[in-house]
Amino acid sequence: MHTLQHTLRAASFCGLLAWLASSSLAAIVPAGVQLHPEQSLVRNNGSEPETLDPSLIESVGAANLIRDLFEGLTASNAQGQIVPGVAETWRQVDPLTWTFQLRPQAKWQNGDPVTAQDFVYAFRRLVDPKTGSKYARTFGDFFFNGKEVSTGQKPPQELGVRAIDKTTLEIKTSHPVKFLPELVSNPNLSPLHAKSIEQLGREWTKPGKLMGNGAYTLQSWQVNSKIVLAKNPVYWDADQVKIHRVTYLSVEDGHVDVKLFESGQNDWVYMLPPGTYASYLKKYPKDIRNTPLLALRYYDFQTQSPFFKDVRVRQALSMVLDRDILAQKVTADGQQPAYGLIVKGLQGADPLGYEWANWPMTKKVETAKALLAQAGVQPGAKFTFSYNTSEYHKKMAIFAASEWKTKLGLTVELEAMEFKVLIKKRHDGQFEMARDGWNSDYNDATSFVALVKCDSDQNHSRHCNPVAEQLIQKGLKENDQAQRKAALNEAIRLIMNDYPIIPLLQYSLPRLVKSYVGGYNTDNQMDRFRTQDLYIVKH
Amino acid sequence: MFAYTFRRLLIAIPTLLVVIGVVYILLFSAPGGPFDAERVVPEAIQAQLMAKYHLDQPYWRQYLLYIAQLLQGDLGVSYRYADWSVNELVASALPVSLTIGGLAIALSLVIGVLLGALAALYRNSWMDYTVMALGSVGSVVPSFVLGPLLVLAFAIGLDWLPSGGWDDFSWQFMVLPVSLLTLINVSTLARIMRASMVEVMNSNYIRTARAKGLPMHLIVFRHALRPALLPVVTIMGPLAVSSITSALVTESIFSLPGLGILVVNGAANRDYTLVLGLVVLITALVVLVNLCVDLMYAFLDPRSRA
Repeated sequence: MHTLQHTLRAASFCGLLAWLASSSLAAIVPAGVQLHPEQSLVRNNGSEPETLDPSLIESVGAANLIRDLFEGLTASNAQGQIVPGVAETWRQVDPLTWTFQLRPQAKWQNGDPVTAQDFVYAFRRLVDPKTGSKYARTFGDFFFNGKEVSTGQKPPQELGVRAIDKTTLEIKTSHPVKFLPELVSNPNLSPLHAKSIEQLGREWTKPGKLMGNGAYTLQSWQVNSKIVLAKNPVYWDADQVKIHRVTYLSVEDGHVDVKLFESGQNDWVYMLPPGTYASYLKKYPKDIRNTPLLALRYYDFQTQSPFFKDVRVRQALSMVLDRDILAQKVTADGQQPAYGLIVKGLQGADPLGYEWANWPMTKKVETAKALLAQAGVQPGAKFTFSYNTSEYHKKMAIFAASEWKTKLGLTVELEAMEFKVLIKKRHDGQFEMARDGWNSDYNDATSFVALVKCDSDQNHSRHCNPVAEQLIQKGLKENDQAQRKAALNEAIRLIMNDYPIIPLLQYSLPRLVKSYVGGYNTDNQMDRFRTQDLYIVKH
Repeated sequence: MFAYTFRRLLIAIPTLLVVIGVVYILLFSAPGGPFDAERVVPEAIQAQLMAKYHLDQPYWRQYLLYIAQLLQGDLGVSYRYADWSVNELVASALPVSLTIGGLAIALSLVIGVLLGALAALYRNSWMDYTVMALGSVGSVVPSFVLGPLLVLAFAIGLDWLPSGGWDDFSWQFMVLPVSLLTLINVSTLARIMRASMVEVMNSNYIRTARAKGLPMHLIVFRHALRPALLPVVTIMGPLAVSSITSALVTESIFSLPGLGILVVNGAANRDYTLVLGLVVLITALVVLVNLCVDLMYAFLDPRSRA
């Protein structure tokens, strides 16, 4: 009875929220702001997208494009809040079942209505191993039978999604997923127009052929140069979409990106080059933006390697690394020190840190030395640190190595390598300590717990805490959010006390965006900006 | 001449097969694969991807499959740029690289030869010293310094030209990258031309022509220029190929969608088919350019026709 009451209350609340938010959701222009007659935006995407097929996208750049070309059940607005997309309302019917009511006016570019079956097709295709999506399990595991389908044990038709009717979609989850509305805002979970894909095959993503349901259509695509999108006149909320044309550049070099910004060819720098934040902050105070992301920089310990199998050694190295100097002097781009797995702003668990985080450094060093002595590690001992070739990572690595040398007498051999080589070494466990980083796929603690869970492919440290694992499983089965958070907090505390990783910094995203680009918001911690939420102010 | 040309083109086929074989070995020897990514690809999906691209086959079979495809003019699909075939990527990038590289080479040739010849004819004068100084600057200052300087001056400072990008062969976007490549190539060509011209002007037959009272312009244009151009023609081959296919720094500085970026991204992402496709293209280009160089020799130097 207690559980049923909770469930009904939660379902009603979700439904109410969704109903309240179901009106027009594109750019909100504050009163008194005059718009520029030419509503067009040029923004750099940081790299060439690997594909425009929502099932197959992996990169941030590709996701940005899909967000404009397609619209999922829900969407993320400029403030980073979840708003209705194709779904007008949704509710959690029971802990494992959700229904989404689609708006009847949502259409594909060719005028076909967007139906629940389009989502069924898309979700099955994403999770089907034949599609070859690298995100099949990231999202698939949340659906009932998702893991079985993605590993080929069951056919895609067994996936827990069905169209009750043309405008009602039912999703069954494998465990209670309170943040499902947030999860389905991901571009990988966009609906797909089955007929286009079946008729056109690989060609379906090309200009003139791509069938989307988003606020924009694909006008032109020059590889390694630019992709131009034009406003979609049949988008259900087209009247509120201000920007008529957006050009996505594919510039990878940060310095070139800034030069384009300075010469007026680019309104939106993807990310400032390392070491330039302070100078651009002075030069362009009105244009500089810096958002703390739901992302973590950290170092992996290979906990099964001889040097790092003792937790005392791992703790000692973590303690003495001065994250304040790392943030303020070494990286100096607005990143914040991190002492835990969970970063600020992430839902589902608390950003707890170590109790020694605020100790004076002398005390930390003294404690660390004692730990090393207990573990039998003498000054002069050596280990290897692997990182991918980049000036930025090199700077951080040199700083870390000097900390361990000056404070603990340890010698670090720095090993730079190509990124693909580092990835392979991390996956194969062929390292002692390695540089790592993680950007959240969705705003829930489970996205980060995957880095330290026992059976996770992303757990490069190869550490397993069975007690914590049980707590994680307990938390995942909880529909009550307070209980879930408590279980995850405790699990993370236990795992982090084993020091499988050294959390370093919460990523931030320093960039330049012209002050006349309205709608940009630094609360958007997942850096998800739909062009329809932006506008150009008169300048 | 035709028989010679035909023979040279025939020899290119085994050359190409050997080059493809060597590159195949190098690509597969490099650690890491095309599907290695931060996010671990689940096994079932990895198996699907490997089968889709025939990467689960033995190497020799993959090589033969590739050759069979190549014979049909199909360079395969790209892993990194999954929506595009290698043919489409090359068709998109090659015109850009050909235009920028071609213009730069043509301009470098004209300007380099002219400056080098003038420097030789007015040896040890202010003309000579100026040309040599410019030549040294072009050789010593790297392109990744010169390029941004050009951008700072003409795009950001004077706002005369765009700082980068590409807009369907609009001339404004070509000026700075062509200028950068030309500056770098001119320095090499001018120095070679000067040295060659000095040597030719000191030769006996030129001394004879002077003694016979021929006017200087006839001596230069009719007797000296052709033999002096031979070393320039030699260097033009590799210079032309690198300007078209390997102008990565220029393409990065000016954000041009050319072949250089494809080559680097292909290698870094272990995009085997893209790299192989570009290798085929570059090998074919080298063969063609070398053939043109040899034919040019025959034109410039009657002695080599024997």
